[in-house]
Amino acid sequence: MTFVTRKSLRRRTLLRGIGATVALPLLDAMIPALSAKPLKSTPRLGFIYIANGVIQDQWIPKTTGPNFALSPILQPLEPVQKHINVLSGLSHLQADTFGDGTGDHPRSSAVWLTGVHAYDRSRPDIEVHLATSADQIAARVIGKTTQTPSVEINLDLPTQGACDTSDCFFNNTISWRNPSTPNPAEAHPRVVFERLFGDGGSAAQRMARMKRNGSILDSVMEEVSGLDKMLGPGDRTKLNEYLDSVREIEQRIQGVEARGAHSIELPERPTDIPDTFEEHIKLMFDLQTLGFQSDATRVFTMIVCRELSARTYPQIGVPDPHHPMSHHRNDPALIVKKAKIDTYHVQLLGYFLQKLQATQDGDGSLLDQSLILYGGGMGDGNLHRHSNLPCLMAGKLGGQFETGRHLAYPKDTPMSNLLLTILKKSGVEIDKIGDSTSPLEV
Amino acid sequence: MTAVAQILGFYNPMTRFFIAMAAAVLISPSAQAQTFDSQQAGAVIGKYCATCHNAKLQTAGLVLDPTRVGNVPADAERWEKVIRKLRASTMPPPGLPRPDPATYNALAGFIETELDRAAAAKPNPGKLPLLHRLSRTEYQNAVRDLLAVEAMPKEMDYSLLLPPDNSNSGFDNIADLLFVSPTAMESYLSAADKISRLAVGDPAAPPMVNIYRVPDEQPQNVRVDELPFGTRGGLAIRSYFPADGEYRVKVTFVGRSAEPEQVELTVDGERAQLVASTVRQAAKGAQKAAPNAAATKSAGTAKDDDNDRDAAPGYGAGRRPIEFRVPVKAGPRLIGVAFIEKDEVRDEEVLRPRLRGAGAEIGVGVVTISGPYNAKGPGDTLSRRRIFVCRPAAPSDEETCARRIISTLERRAYRRPVTANDVEYLMPFYTAGKTEGGFDLGIQRAIQRLLVSPQFLFRIERDPANAPPGTAHPVSDLELASRLSFFLWSSIPDDELLELASQGKLRQPGILEQQVKRMLADSRSTSLVSNFAEQWLYLRDIENKRPNEALFADFDESLRDAFRQETDLFLDSVLRGNRSVLDLLSANYTFVNERLAKHYGIPNVHGSDFRRVTFPPGSPRGGLLGQGSILTITSYANRTSPVSRGKWVLENLLSAPPPPPPPDVPALKTEGKDTGKTLTMRDAMIQHRANPACASCHARMDPIGFAMENFDGIGRWRDRDAGNPIDASGVFPGGEKFDGMAGLKAALLSHPEEFVSTITEKLMMYGIGRNVQYYDRPAIRAIIRRAARNNYTFASLVLGVVESAPFQMRETPASSEAKTARR
Repeated sequence: MTFVTRKSLRRRTLLRGIGATVALPLLDAMIPALSAKPLKSTPRLGFIYIANGVIQDQWIPKTTGPNFALSPILQPLEPVQKHINVLSGLSHLQADTFGDGTGDHPRSSAVWLTGVHAYDRSRPDIEVHLATSADQIAARVIGKTTQTPSVEINLDLPTQGACDTSDCFFNNTISWRNPSTPNPAEAHPRVVFERLFGDGGSAAQRMARMKRNGSILDSVMEEVSGLDKMLGPGDRTKLNEYLDSVREIEQRIQGVEARGAHSIELPERPTDIPDTFEEHIKLMFDLQTLGFQSDATRVFTMIVCRELSARTYPQIGVPDPHHPMSHHRNDPALIVKKAKIDTYHVQLLGYFLQKLQATQDGDGSLLDQSLILYGGGMGDGNLHRHSNLPCLMAGKLGGQFETGRHLAYPKDTPMSNLLLTILKKSGVEIDKIGDSTSPLEV
Repeated sequence: MTAVAQILGFYNPMTRFFIAMAAAVLISPSAQAQTFDSQQAGAVIGKYCATCHNAKLQTAGLVLDPTRVGNVPADAERWEKVIRKLRASTMPPPGLPRPDPATYNALAGFIETELDRAAAAKPNPGKLPLLHRLSRTEYQNAVRDLLAVEAMPKEMDYSLLLPPDNSNSGFDNIADLLFVSPTAMESYLSAADKISRLAVGDPAAPPMVNIYRVPDEQPQNVRVDELPFGTRGGLAIRSYFPADGEYRVKVTFVGRSAEPEQVELTVDGERAQLVASTVRQAAKGAQKAAPNAAATKSAGTAKDDDNDRDAAPGYGAGRRPIEFRVPVKAGPRLIGVAFIEKDEVRDEEVLRPRLRGAGAEIGVGVVTISGPYNAKGPGDTLSRRRIFVCRPAAPSDEETCARRIISTLERRAYRRPVTANDVEYLMPFYTAGKTEGGFDLGIQRAIQRLLVSPQFLFRIERDPANAPPGTAHPVSDLELASRLSFFLWSSIPDDELLELASQGKLRQPGILEQQVKRMLADSRSTSLVSNFAEQWLYLRDIENKRPNEALFADFDESLRDAFRQETDLFLDSVLRGNRSVLDLLSANYTFVNERLAKHYGIPNVHGSDFRRVTFPPGSPRGGLLGQGSILTITSYANRTSPVSRGKWVLENLLSAPPPPPPPDVPALKTEGKDTGKTLTMRDAMIQHRANPACASCHARMDPIGFAMENFDGIGRWRDRDAGNPIDASGVFPGGEKFDGMAGLKAALLSHPEEFVSTITEKLMMYGIGRNVQYYDRPAIRAIIRRAARNNYTFASLVLGVVESAPFQMRETPASSEAKTARR
């Protein structure tokens, strides 16, 4: 096994800020070598979620087709307009109430990448059941050779109450590993950093640690098979989850061992969640850009704000909590404020897209190779409607999509159709997701 | 009176006489004057219930067939619903005839007796998976009790080591939501590596860098708790040091000071070093003042780092960083960094938050602890004493000793007697480590392997091989011991409990009760405050609250800490002090320090230490509802939210959560019909309630919230809001008027069973690790009946849960595939 150093490491410059005498043993994190495949054919997918709906008539552009006129909320994307498509008319009607008890908000985030209705579990003995989400379906195919098949981020810290359902995971994640396992989403940039780039030591030390972990996992598998024989006929779900996880980590270790590892230049490890929301989200975007760039991961999900988020935005003149304000009751003052939040989120997306655009990857930019889907499962937050959802996509996914257009679809076209298209164009063999009826022409 | 029933939706447009009758019904389920047989019950149901709930009308989807009253238990789920309506006195609905109270009570009693009798004859402990993963908190406590490592260095904080757990109703220890993902598995591997190295102590470990930032809102002109008197500001850091050796403590500053300041470094409260901080010269090449070496009095040296560039940009600090070098012994230590207080008579007053940027008073910005350097050895730590139960005298003893160490650890970690096979799984890791770096490394590697074992990470309960499908059986003594310790300690059993269980003595007369009492008295039962109660009441959300700076300039980190401490001390005094749980609502005392006392307007409290204060009669404070923590978590950043407060009370104190808001909420009018004037929030809410789709829930939530309106978004008392007098009056759905917090508390306490039932239900959910269902109701009723005789003391509720069928038993699956009975 060899360690390929793609870039020389300017150690001193990186160490600044920690104290010059402190050697931070983390800089040459192990990243799978990129040389095996030309980067051109590497699809990258990002799914970014915004909650509580948007002010729709300030979101949806008034004209369609290429050279459409940007709407007020989308104005910050002017520098990248030719790299995005705005899609209007899409709906997630599986988020409507079916007369059961999970609220409209939790259903919105649950449905977004699954196309499946989130049932409540207030009746006895109903198990957690949703569906594998689009990001995870993709990660299993396009991410299987990467260090971290997918990354899950949530900028809001999980809360205990205020979920409109007792099952807060419907609000706290949009990523479902399988129908019964929601993926935990991380708010701490440090944890995201370590998932992507490892947690320290020289490349050799980390390789040794990885080998040790490999033998631990082998031994654990043996222990489990012994255990399995002793267990009665009961519910083995948890044991199977554990075993699946052990196997997947083993495969990753074998993959890295087989491909070798190389080093890239990394920033300092983040130590804390930044004080401001803007610093926080930009740091996450920076990490994700690095994750794509180094091919440590090809898939991520990010919740910019969770459903029912009561975050305030004094930095843009909105000291009011987001969710209560989204029920604007047609009060013009509240509509202005909600639109400010919507615009601000789009502006932060713009930061990320421009960063991807500025990063060279293969023949083009990282943005050209990627597809970033941005939107939510609630259209009109005031009325709790799941139709005409905010939806835009950025990037060409390696030439799979044309960009620069506003595409208006017939009312209530399933949003799941778009998920299907994205998956198919990413190279996933799939015919249906959630309530999809056919791939969407994009 | 029936105010609680009214909160719950009891609507009574009739006379006070009627209300009084309903109150009589509510007094006590056990005080039944009259008993029914099934025929009498059927007649009452036929007359008063089946007029709507019949096969034809199916009102609310419920059919009550009077002829089926002969077999109530066959339809337990439906009848438990009926019981709840009857005990809350919400049915029959207003305007429709009701039986006389004696009859009403007798019907409820009949149904309960039928259900309870059937439950006693054939207990249904509910369904739990075979494996119950440890929550992050439980893992942390288990590691603490297994390896004696606490106060992790920041780099190894558990919130960084392991992913967060999912919660249901606030609780994160619910078996079916404790998932395992590859992300979690990776975390377990990495955590096991780090924790085992820390516990064994590894002098060869690379230096660890731990960066601690002082929150901007933390005032620095008072003494920090845990730091020596005569100091102010700075930071107290509890951290674990992995080896005996030299560590560097670098301190950067924010703000400015006109005079020189002295900065003290303490280790476990003892001064290690004292230095004068020096002024950064603005001009390049200007002479830099050296640290005041004369003031340095101890081992080690303080080093000033000329090349440091991180302090100036970003913070605008007027002072250069200081770096202390100090020898520290391995193990958990309290490191203090603080300024020497110049003015000894300074009051610890209500303080303004430190302002960002230049011009503000000097404070500590960031403390970075790194090391070890020149490590001298693993030291003599509690962890090493716990782990190394033997030391090999000669190489030939090594393997025997290793086996002893490993089996001792495995017994505690797996919470059961150890087999030879168990040890064999770990020995290869010991051998590999020993070969690579000696005996200690071998033990470390074995511990690393132990910490990812499924038998450590999961509580495993087995169904007996010969148990027929779908039947209940008592769990084994060892399984019961784990249930007990995870319930009362959120951790693994100790040796005494494990020993009793291994000998099969746990269920001998008196033993269980004696163990529960012993465990409640043990300091580990603080988890009932920090894990159970904090999750039950959503108190952890206080961490996420960011009250608007302009509106709530008083809010800062010290107030947040004080809120948390007050409520924790109060909960501890009631729960672990074994008072009646009703005191949680009605107590006339609380715990405050000067900061909090000023916030509440309580005179004559000085200093940062918390003490118990008694409220005068008639004070609106007292009990959980008057505490800043709860008043803040139920508010938005810029205002109170009567809806959130009402919802919180219904959900957490009365077990009657409102359903989520319906879709297509009709838009609220913001202008009055005739006046064209913009409506106030309260008026808008009243209009909102005029809509029948909204009214049924908001009529329950809003009055509770309005009753609490005299407390602002951070729990301060107020008589006015934005110039207008506070209107804390309201009308419960039943039409009864009330005013303010006193009225609300009186209403809650007038019907204590509702609250006691709620806390029991929450305890049971937390204790068993699953949602409470209709089939748990008989057990809950039994617990409450017993606890009533003990004035509802907390211990009586805990013991009731421990002795209940759901806690004592488990059920075998109906068949091997019957796992997914859904919808």
